[in-house]
Amino acid sequence: MIRPYELVYIFESALEEAQINERLDKFHSLLKTPESPEPVTSLAHWGKRTLSYPIKGKEVGYYVVAQFESQPESLGELERALKLDESVLRYLIVLNEDLAPVGAAEGEGSSEAGTEEKKEEGE
Amino acid sequence: MRRPRKSCPVCESGVRVLDYKDERTLSRFLTERGKIIPARLSGMCARHQRQLGRAIKRARHLALVPFIRGYGR
Repeated sequence: MIRPYELVYIFESALEEAQINERLDKFHSLLKTPESPEPVTSLAHWGKRTLSYPIKGKEVGYYVVAQFESQPESLGELERALKLDESVLRYLIVLNEDLAPVGAAEGEGSSEAGTEEKKEEGE
Repeated sequence: MRRPRKSCPVCESGVRVLDYKDERTLSRFLTERGKIIPARLSGMCARHQRQLGRAIKRARHLALVPFIRGYGR
């Protein structure tokens, strides 16, 4: 089963743009399978940002947000690669709930229009 | 006398899902030291308070929001 994920990277800010793109290609190639040759659906470079607290002695990180679709089984390999790479200060992989098929992640009622919004009668 | 229920600030703004990447919004629900403001004080509905907790914890991991503001700086 293919599920949508979101991955946030924090790279060391000393890296050049080209080095970051090279690493992104490397990580994203781990997600490629014959069925889905193009797993990454969107990619955004936030650029350098000051970290709220130092990570590995660094005060600044380079943020990249990627959204991709993948089998859950192939995440292990990606995570291993992310942990081995010293230039990745931090990463986060989460299910992309906005796009997740209804009833998959949360047991939400299907009709959740603003039923409770307007209840202001009487004084 | 019971105080009338405060309305949820997130529902009012029309947002359905709180995004952990939006640290401007998240910081509205943090104290100056970086603690999560309880729903009792913010009037947040239960669903959004749960989302908020998850979003803030993710944002802390990504250093978008501090665990403790003003510590060691």
